[in-house]
Amino acid sequence: MSIAKLENIHKVYHIGKIDFPALRGISFSIEEGEFLSIAGPSGSGKTTILNLLGCLDKPSQGKIFLEEKDITALPTSKLADVRRKNIGFVFQTFNLIPVLTAMENVEFPLILEGQHDPKERRQVTEDILTEVGLKDFLHRRPNEMSGGQQQRVAVARALVKKPKLVLADEPTANLDSVTGEEILQLMLELNQKTSTTFVFSTHDKMVMDFARRIIRLRDGKIESDQKVNKK
Amino acid sequence: MKMLFKLAFRNVFRYRRRTIITFSAISYGLGLMAVGISLYNGVDTHAMDNIINSQTAHLKILAAGYFEKKDEVPLEFTIDEPQEIKSLLKNNRDIQGIESRVLFQASIISGMDELPCMGVAIEPEIDPLVFKIKDSIIDGRFLEPSESKIILGSGLARDLGLKVGDDCTLRIFFSIEDFIWNALDLEIAGIAKTENPMVNRGTVFIPLSLAQEALSLENSVTELAVRIEDRRRLLEVRESIEGRLASLSKDYEVVSFEEYASDFKELMRMRSRMQALIPLMMILIATLGIVNTMLMAVMERTREIGMLAAMGMRKMEVMLVFIFEGALIGIFGSFAACVIGGLGGWWLEAKGFSLAFLGEEIAEMVSFLPMEVYKGDLTAGTLIFTFILGTVISILASLYPAYKAVKLDPIQALRHVG
Repeated sequence: MSIAKLENIHKVYHIGKIDFPALRGISFSIEEGEFLSIAGPSGSGKTTILNLLGCLDKPSQGKIFLEEKDITALPTSKLADVRRKNIGFVFQTFNLIPVLTAMENVEFPLILEGQHDPKERRQVTEDILTEVGLKDFLHRRPNEMSGGQQQRVAVARALVKKPKLVLADEPTANLDSVTGEEILQLMLELNQKTSTTFVFSTHDKMVMDFARRIIRLRDGKIESDQKVNKK
Repeated sequence: MKMLFKLAFRNVFRYRRRTIITFSAISYGLGLMAVGISLYNGVDTHAMDNIINSQTAHLKILAAGYFEKKDEVPLEFTIDEPQEIKSLLKNNRDIQGIESRVLFQASIISGMDELPCMGVAIEPEIDPLVFKIKDSIIDGRFLEPSESKIILGSGLARDLGLKVGDDCTLRIFFSIEDFIWNALDLEIAGIAKTENPMVNRGTVFIPLSLAQEALSLENSVTELAVRIEDRRRLLEVRESIEGRLASLSKDYEVVSFEEYASDFKELMRMRSRMQALIPLMMILIATLGIVNTMLMAVMERTREIGMLAAMGMRKMEVMLVFIFEGALIGIFGSFAACVIGGLGGWWLEAKGFSLAFLGEEIAEMVSFLPMEVYKGDLTAGTLIFTFILGTVISILASLYPAYKAVKLDPIQALRHVG
């Protein structure tokens, strides 16, 4: 089943008096359970695609479907609802809420989603933090954790509400290679275990090595779309 | 909602120094405002009490026409049958005392020195029922009926170097313009220091019979001063007195202390307008503090706001986080303001402050209020007002920064380098 589909997407940014075309007629679909990397050099349109898939931005032309539903024309408030229910984000700079503990950061999306039973919420949160290897860090605040641990919290936060799609914008860019690999391994394991669809942008070869499908972009167009068979 | 509140609560303590500065601006600003309001209320109440106790009583019965010319202290508008009026009002239970008095322009002479003053002829046996002059005698004693003695205000006595037992001459004017006067040689029975500096620095008291004889008034007086049991019943008592007086052939007017002290009331009204500027300034300081703090918070947390939006947080929820933050700083600050205002107000109410540290003469010169000691009047209403005002201001001041926060484009916000 197609989780997401982009049809002839164009995106033009207006910078001052200059129009800058970031995407020029992109079309592809993402199947459930994929572990997809969108690769390409800086300015190729990777982040723009993630923003569009994440309902943070709207295309200048073309249509976007999430689970067969056209979301292109939805108003901003409805897009927030789509994000809240269906999409998890992992950011390059972790972006945890500094005043909340790991547990509270991960619990936050569940509260936003409207899960009212605190006991159940905490149990789900604790389980996922245990799964990402942070059982002993539940009550630490972000500034009391390493970059790798913070990104694990971010991954747990993205997954806790069991979203259809997790979008990770260069998730290892702020980590050393060993930690970055650990995070990718973790995401891959969770992808295989939960069948959650992962889409991440990168220009890092090591990250691409983990992907099961790589879409390469150049100048806002798809250069190649390649499935990778691995054991 | 609970989570939003928790987030706001923790963010308040995230930037401690800035929160403390804003908190201080609110607590000191509004605290001083509360003290100011207490002082203003106190001055209003106590000054009026002082005027009542030393000058106007609650009501004055005057011959028709006197009130209009009261500043000239005229002697031609007299009440010729004071006893008859007193008998008429004898059974009125609201009335605590009625005293016949004569006010006259005078000057007091001691050796080569002469100072102008207001002369008040009183009925010594009745005066304590209506005024508090007897209680304010600091040296010597109060007057006895018909004796040839005088009581001086403390300021007058000091300025003329007179003390109890000294002799002085009282020049009583029938007419200042025509310079027609009579003189009395009197021994000083006592020195009065009332709570009203205006009385202390320019009033003398003599027995009524003495003044009536000197001014050839026979049994006439210029006013009947009335003290009532309950000030709240002033209007009813006044109407009842007016009703009784209507049966008399001569026209009289009944004037309340508020009308008598209308100049003072006007002064207070002007002061209150000026004093309204102080809370306005405090409100401005508190508002700017909150707006500044919250705008800084929005700037510093731009990426966090982008992340919250990305997670699907609604605009109203983002706004609420910032409004809660502002409100919390406001609530803490307003609470501290109530403590400061409460302590300051309590001290003013219990002790008050006097301008005496400037020296008695300077204090009397600069004091334009009928008070020796400036006392406060702290009410729960003042503190509640302070608390609500501080909280409401903080919430209102947070609206603009909160609006700025939700106007941020999530993508731009996420890219923000802070």
